[in-house]
Amino acid sequence: MTELQAEQAAAVPQPEAGLQRSRYFDVLIALAAFAVLAILPMLTGSKALLDFVIRCSAFGLFATSLNLLVGYTGLVSFGHGMFFGLGAYGFGLIMQRTGVPVPVAFVATLVITTIIAAVIGAICVRLKEIYFAFVTLAFQMLIHSTILSWVSLTGGDQGLRGGIPRPAFFGIDLSNHVHLYIASCALLVIGLLLMRQIAQSPFGYTLRMIRDNANRASFVGIDVWRAKLTIFVLAALFASTGGIIMALFVSGAYPEFAYWTISGEGIFINMLGGVTTFLGPMVGTVLLLILNDTVTRLTEYYGIVLGIVILFFAIGLRKGLMDFVVEWYTQRRNGPVE
Amino acid sequence: MPQWMLPLDLDALTGCLASSACLVTQTTSGFIIGMLLFLVAVGLTLIFGVLKVVNFSHGAFYMFGAYFAMTAYQFSGSFALAMLCGAAGTAILGLIFERVFMSRVYGADVLMQLLVCYAFVLIFDDVVRMIWGPEFKSMGMPAAFQVAPLFIAGGVVPPYYLLLIGVALAAAVILGLGLARTRIGKVIRAAAHNPGMVSALGINTGLIYGGVFALGGMLAGLAGALAAPVRSLTPGMGFSVLIESFIVTVIGGMGSILGALIGALLIGMIRSFGSLGFPLFTEGLMYLFMVIVLVSRPSGLFGKEVA
Amino acid sequence: MTRTRKPGVSRRATLAMMGAGAVTFAAPWVARAQAKTIKVGMPTILSGRVAQLGTSSRNGVMLEIEKVNAAGGLAGRQIEMVIRDSKGQPQEAARVARELVNTDGCEILIDAEASSGAFAVHEVARDLGVLCLHTNSETSALTADPKQHIPNAFRTARQGVHDSIVGGSYAAAIAKAKGLKKWATCSPDYAYGRDTTGEYVTYLKRFAPDIEIISESWPKLFQPDYTEVVTKILQAKPQALYSCLWGGDLTSYIDQANIYALFSQMEVFAVNMADYTALTVVKNLPKGIHSGNRYIKTYPATPENAAWGDAYKAKYNEYPTNWSWENATAIMLLAEASKKANSADGKKIAEALRGLKIKSPFGADGTVTMRAEDQTLVGYAIGWGTTIPQEPYVPQVQAGDWKTIFELEAEWKKSKGYT
Repeated sequence: MTELQAEQAAAVPQPEAGLQRSRYFDVLIALAAFAVLAILPMLTGSKALLDFVIRCSAFGLFATSLNLLVGYTGLVSFGHGMFFGLGAYGFGLIMQRTGVPVPVAFVATLVITTIIAAVIGAICVRLKEIYFAFVTLAFQMLIHSTILSWVSLTGGDQGLRGGIPRPAFFGIDLSNHVHLYIASCALLVIGLLLMRQIAQSPFGYTLRMIRDNANRASFVGIDVWRAKLTIFVLAALFASTGGIIMALFVSGAYPEFAYWTISGEGIFINMLGGVTTFLGPMVGTVLLLILNDTVTRLTEYYGIVLGIVILFFAIGLRKGLMDFVVEWYTQRRNGPVE
Repeated sequence: MPQWMLPLDLDALTGCLASSACLVTQTTSGFIIGMLLFLVAVGLTLIFGVLKVVNFSHGAFYMFGAYFAMTAYQFSGSFALAMLCGAAGTAILGLIFERVFMSRVYGADVLMQLLVCYAFVLIFDDVVRMIWGPEFKSMGMPAAFQVAPLFIAGGVVPPYYLLLIGVALAAAVILGLGLARTRIGKVIRAAAHNPGMVSALGINTGLIYGGVFALGGMLAGLAGALAAPVRSLTPGMGFSVLIESFIVTVIGGMGSILGALIGALLIGMIRSFGSLGFPLFTEGLMYLFMVIVLVSRPSGLFGKEVA
Repeated sequence: MTRTRKPGVSRRATLAMMGAGAVTFAAPWVARAQAKTIKVGMPTILSGRVAQLGTSSRNGVMLEIEKVNAAGGLAGRQIEMVIRDSKGQPQEAARVARELVNTDGCEILIDAEASSGAFAVHEVARDLGVLCLHTNSETSALTADPKQHIPNAFRTARQGVHDSIVGGSYAAAIAKAKGLKKWATCSPDYAYGRDTTGEYVTYLKRFAPDIEIISESWPKLFQPDYTEVVTKILQAKPQALYSCLWGGDLTSYIDQANIYALFSQMEVFAVNMADYTALTVVKNLPKGIHSGNRYIKTYPATPENAAWGDAYKAKYNEYPTNWSWENATAIMLLAEASKKANSADGKKIAEALRGLKIKSPFGADGTVTMRAEDQTLVGYAIGWGTTIPQEPYVPQVQAGDWKTIFELEAEWKKSKGYT
């Protein structure tokens, strides 16, 4: 991760200064973003646009939470998708089997995710670099195999069938398209805001320190293992929330949600958008979904087109879009470096 | 039908362990699965060892090997030529892939390298679909091998699989000796250890890197070619093989050839005997084993210990 | 039956279309207004390992669409197919299906997804209320389970339970004649494989009660290597083997079992063998494998069926697959229902579809029927025979009896708690 880390380290602003002020600023931006999103259904009758935003919420939360691990802590997880799947299955199963109100199922899913993420994380975060990536991948595949094998609970490869019931609560009816849309937007904005707070908190700076030099961090008395585990679990919670939104969107849960390809897509989104800015993954999500939706409309040789776009980013730009934009902007402002 | 929770079929497993016929058959079947895996995995581990690149597109070379072999066999009818085309074609492909694309991202982030590989997984699958079509194909078993299986100590062993094991073992020995004894082998090992020093000595590291990639690609292509008579060919066929060879290299230790061999055989045996004991959880068993190895020895059974 | 429209409507429609075109150009998400052509959306799998499912489904559909359009379309509206790749991912299938309806303005969905994708599209149909014809999912629960039932979704595909009833009774007769008592099964470990095998065994035992299953193997779907499965079966030494592996998995399995000389040691019943994709691909097809019919132009042995198979071959330079006839049937039914309802409206077509019986080259008696009670296709040609390595591949097909199928299917539904 050398190149990116060095750039990132240089871009890190002073921690404590203006923390309070920037927090108000973040909340303000979040409120504004939510307001814009909430007005959208009144401006357009396009259900497809709302669908698009709902999917962006699901993948955006997932990708941004992955960036907490990859970009901020230097933990490259290849298995983050397992929590996306866990959220979808947990929520879907609770709703189908127990009939509790939606908020209860939501909280219960997050509790389950916390427990499982804590157990898996406790094992995984001991390992470094590529080995961490492999062990998370192995856990992901283990969970995927389990979903496929445990037919009586999960429905195996056919997924959770028959739709997810969603009784109305507090006047919110998630089977109504607009309600689901607003709820997804709310979850997205709140999720992003919380993650932003984590990233900008003293804990967030501890994570950056661990990423840049874990030894130094432990010398100054930081419990590296505990910090890594904490962020692993926190990231899992947001990924799980993304999974819940996806389960509501497709009204079901499928083993593909817990497959490694979802994790791969998350990594890809991060690289596409850039890992050095907080909103990079969000930009990447929008980019990938637009790319996916338009290219599949035009050709069935989707792989070639996507492959070439990836090559453009990986070999051409050598960084994500937001990284590129930020760099270009600072260069313009400060004049050429060197 | 057993539904879930490690549906252990202990009778089948113990019954097999008690019978020499079953033991021989299942052990050879473990060898067959393992040796093909080894050919793919050893390329992966070699490329990682020297170039420090996790070649995520390695499965595509296996796929191309199979398709090249099938086409060559269709035109010439010669099995030997088919194997040669499978191996040589992928070697050239590996060289081009490394020189034109991978060499551009060596200094970059690990994730960037992965992305380039991922891009080629997508591109190669579509290229195969364009050239050979989306439907599955079969090369067919050459007439020379359409003979009755051998019976050894009551166990069944097909002659073609003996050839397959032989070729893979030969590849393992040649590789092992070649790296240990020859000059080129020493240069490659040196390049893996300290590329700066090697290039300071006036040796073209680019050539070594390209060569290692070509060698890795060739081995995967050879595996694909050897598998072509018995496995159906489809775009995307490299994928499941890739995942299994990843497990092999991780278990054996990234960069270790001996590790790849042992890892491949272990996976072969798990598959072979696991299908008796845990018919519904054989796949899960492999991942479980991988987790256990990674947690107890992160660098794998034969990998160098990481700090 | 083509009705001429009033010019005013047409002009307005044209204007709307132009307007919609302009808007679409500006923003891809804005829904298009209803045009004179009727758009039929088709999410399917066009990439990856089962891309052939998508391509041969598409071929089957397009072959029929041409005829329907030449005859005036659906109630005077030309059909325009919008076919999209879901890459075999259920969430993509759901997304594509929604987009086809919401953005592209498709009024009917042909769901040519397999397995879980079909259930995902089914939920979209439930949500949007759009007319949906499932063409590839053979999982019986999709239409048999009342929890899945929605008035706007139909299935024009064969079903696992039908195959198993016919296969079970066919195999039982042979088992009795040849004294095959010890059986093994080897099927892919996913819903279709598990359900179909379970049902097959049930009916086999029902018709021949002294049969015993001595070994079960469950390879993964798309597993490249079956060596351990082959040897496991050899160890068990059964007299007969049942398998519902299909496509490339089946051909791999045959190639690998061949070199162990497995086929000379037992009778093999492979329900998915008699499909041209598998028959033409396997180079050393062993003689005498028992198989159910998938699509074969010699069964039913009618001029209509042979002509359809030849027309397909002439157009696409390959033989039809099982998926081809299932998708072609969807279009035939749509056209017929639309004629009967004299409308292209989804709800009216759905109404007309229930209980509709049409002439079909694929019918057991020259007709197929969309059964009203569970909205699934019945009466299609179904039978078993043994394979030979060259054309006509399955010289003799023993027809299944639909009366027995209906009886046993009703019983099966009851046992599952569906009725």
